[in-house]
Amino acid sequence: MKKIEAIIQPFKLDDVKDALKEIGIDGMTATEVRGHGRQKGHKEVYRGREYQVDLLPKIKIEMVVPSARMEEVIRTIVTAARTGKIGDGKIFVYDVAEAVRIRNDDRGDAAL
Amino acid sequence: MTIVATPHSSPEADELRAAFFRDGDAFPVLAGRSAMVEAAVVRSFDEFIAPALPGGAALLAVGGFGRRELFPHSDVDLLLLVPVELSEAGQRDAVSRFLQNLWDSGLRLGHSVRTPTECCEVHDGNVELSISLLDRRFLAGDPALFERMEEKLPRFFSARRDELSRQLCRLTRVRQARYSDTIYHLEPNVKEAPGGLRDYQLARWLSQLRNAQSYRRSEPDPFPELANARTFLYSVRCFLHYRTGRDSNLLGFDAQEELADQPFSPASDPAAWMRVYFRHARSIHRTAARWLEECEAAGSSLFSQFRDWRSRLSNAEFTVSRESVLFKSPQLLAQDTELVLRLFEFTARHGIRPAPDSEQRIAEHLSALEQHRSAPRPLWPRLEAILSLPNAAIALRSMHECGVLNAMFTEWKEIDCLVLRDFHHRYTVDEHTLVSIQEIDGLRGNQDPLRLRFAELLDEIERPEILRFALLFHDTGKATARGPHTEVSAALAEQALTRIAAPPDVRDSVRFLIERHLDFSSVLNSRDLGEEGTARFLAGRVETVERLKYLTLVTYADISAVHPSAMSPWRLDQLWRLYLIAYNELTLELDSDRIEAPASDSPEKAEFLDGFPRRYLLTHNAPEIEAHYQIRKLSIERGVAVDVKRLNGVYSLTVVTRDRPFLFASVAGALAGFGMNILKAEAFGNRHSEVLDVFIFEDPNRTLDLNPAEIDRLHFTVERVVLGRMDVKELLERRPRPALPSRRSRVEPRVSFDSVGSSRATLIEIVAQDRPGLLYDLARTISSAGGNIEVVLVDTEAHKAIDVFYVTFGGGKLTSGAEIPLREALLSVCRT
Repeated sequence: MKKIEAIIQPFKLDDVKDALKEIGIDGMTATEVRGHGRQKGHKEVYRGREYQVDLLPKIKIEMVVPSARMEEVIRTIVTAARTGKIGDGKIFVYDVAEAVRIRNDDRGDAAL
Repeated sequence: MTIVATPHSSPEADELRAAFFRDGDAFPVLAGRSAMVEAAVVRSFDEFIAPALPGGAALLAVGGFGRRELFPHSDVDLLLLVPVELSEAGQRDAVSRFLQNLWDSGLRLGHSVRTPTECCEVHDGNVELSISLLDRRFLAGDPALFERMEEKLPRFFSARRDELSRQLCRLTRVRQARYSDTIYHLEPNVKEAPGGLRDYQLARWLSQLRNAQSYRRSEPDPFPELANARTFLYSVRCFLHYRTGRDSNLLGFDAQEELADQPFSPASDPAAWMRVYFRHARSIHRTAARWLEECEAAGSSLFSQFRDWRSRLSNAEFTVSRESVLFKSPQLLAQDTELVLRLFEFTARHGIRPAPDSEQRIAEHLSALEQHRSAPRPLWPRLEAILSLPNAAIALRSMHECGVLNAMFTEWKEIDCLVLRDFHHRYTVDEHTLVSIQEIDGLRGNQDPLRLRFAELLDEIERPEILRFALLFHDTGKATARGPHTEVSAALAEQALTRIAAPPDVRDSVRFLIERHLDFSSVLNSRDLGEEGTARFLAGRVETVERLKYLTLVTYADISAVHPSAMSPWRLDQLWRLYLIAYNELTLELDSDRIEAPASDSPEKAEFLDGFPRRYLLTHNAPEIEAHYQIRKLSIERGVAVDVKRLNGVYSLTVVTRDRPFLFASVAGALAGFGMNILKAEAFGNRHSEVLDVFIFEDPNRTLDLNPAEIDRLHFTVERVVLGRMDVKELLERRPRPALPSRRSRVEPRVSFDSVGSSRATLIEIVAQDRPGLLYDLARTISSAGGNIEVVLVDTEAHKAIDVFYVTFGGGKLTSGAEIPLREALLSVCRT
């Protein structure tokens, strides 16, 4: 099993959710986060006052999928979240040792 | 070891359950289970405790068990009374075996072992023990020992009742805060949430603590008026226990459906059933809240002083007593229905809620109020007064609790206690609405830096009543709309506003805000805020900075009222960023977005409008444009036309003339020379070098009010100044300089330049401490630097002036070299 963690633009969340749903991935955790990679921050001006925005708002989505579906899920997220501009985000993949469904003690892929 | 029969699964328990599901009557279940548990614990006591404590011990039922009100899976609270502290290992072991035996039989126990003296002490960390003794009941053991405690307890309660009441109130506030202090949850907890059974017990305990007689014996039900509510909630809790097989008191969506389906249900539709629930919870909550406030107030001398001071707010119609409002002559309600609305205006002004007596009298006149509003009536001015005051949220909540909102607006009745299943929302639709208005009122005085920015927007909007009315109706369409509710809500608001004779501009603004109230949330979820197109899209949706501010605040309130953590710092940042990009876009469009080939009934009028910023058409209605055009016609002959008018406590001055250097500064200076305080100003130029300047100003010394001839003199002076026949400096030299506010409260001036946004002009934005003559000084400084003022927007927010100038320098933009000296000159003017 793999844990996929994607940092995406906030306005792409619905697109990514819909795309994942289409390939049968319903379960995920989404968190409001702030951060930046190469994009860095930017400056905003309001009534003569400058606001330096260092950490940009992003959405982090996390899900655990069977290893065999990893590539498909990554492709889906990339396609749905891409605008082609700097700041589109990143995807990280981790190995998962075990998954347990608390309700009935299902293990492994069956628990996903 | 004896294992007693599990009380949940005995034939008697099964019979009680079956009977309950036939008629929904919880009382036989409570009494029946109490009797069964009593038999089990007494047997266990006789087997384990009595032989091990020959010196005597008494077993008491406390809490719900003491009241013989054990729900199917409630905890069982016991108190083992001992003459002296248990010191022998054998005695302590006997107690352990007694408890273990009961645990093994399936009972969940809460227990304590105390001497009579220990029972008469307040333990800071365990006030609940003292409170539970109010519901004590002897079960088994040494009656003499129990009597010894009974003799001591009345003295203890009498001496410590204030402390106990205070602690109980404190614990209650903490509990209620966990539920956001509202009964209107979509999935409420029928025991712990406000309006739940714990609140009922709270009122009973506080009443017992106040009434010395009830320390010794249990008194009859002190709240017969709550009998129906109590019966209903007991039945619901009993059902929830049976349904889940445990002490679960959460009234979730599935349970609501199942309850509505029961033969004893008062309504078969879950939404209607929940309305019955909320009606009962509301009555319990109000009684508990009254007791809570009474007890808290009794314990605070500072509060008493404040209360005495507040009583001075009484006027000819209302008396303030014990921090609530009473009618001075309630009999007048029969003749003067609007007295009710004046009471809520009083509440909105001072933040003091109606007294229970006032609520009762209002309730008696609700049908008259309903009849009164059924015919179209000009009630808007009264409602406008309520909605524009700082405590409008408190007034609206009181109006809702008294049934006045329902009586006034049939449209609102539809969302009263309306439960809509939504994973995001936590409250009923009416509560969400009231919380949204509360969130707006809560911005004032909020110290959170992320929220301060929105608080500033609230200070800047001119008509908070429009914002609050839009929020009041923004979700009314949810009761009936099949699809998106915004259109239906807007139509319902329009219908209500028409009935109460609100003016067209109010109706238009409210309609706009309700129809668009989901737009910004949708943009946040679906559009890239960094895209130029998004800024243009937003600017196109709102069209003016004023509407942008209103809609931003509506969005802020709407999201904040979804649940307590919905408006996260992350989301606050996002919403602010959205505001910022739309604001900057709209400000830049001021100069570049001009009217071209305007449609008009006459070529002369079209010529007048040709080249004005598009904002002019968006911020002025047809009669205003016609009035400006008439002034322009007068100006053709004399070179200038001036019009001075009084409007709602302020004045407006309109000038139409040919453009020339120092023109705007001269008019601003003339007004300052007369001692007038400019609140707003705008200056637009058309393609034919004609200029329209509009100033809104107040007359702080009432010069124009008291001397009408001064209006003519002002008129004449402005004409002469515009035509260059009078030097405005002379006028200003005669005026005394006002004292500056203290350094601490002074607004630090800021000047910013933007030469990128407009194709031909430089935007100069100035935020500074307002003072008489400031606008003249700023405009003169710009003109002295060779600037031609093309467009001006001036606004004041309390003592802060926010001035936006679009300026051309020799027909082009300001050079970067000239920017620094001009900035210094403007800052110097602001600091003078």
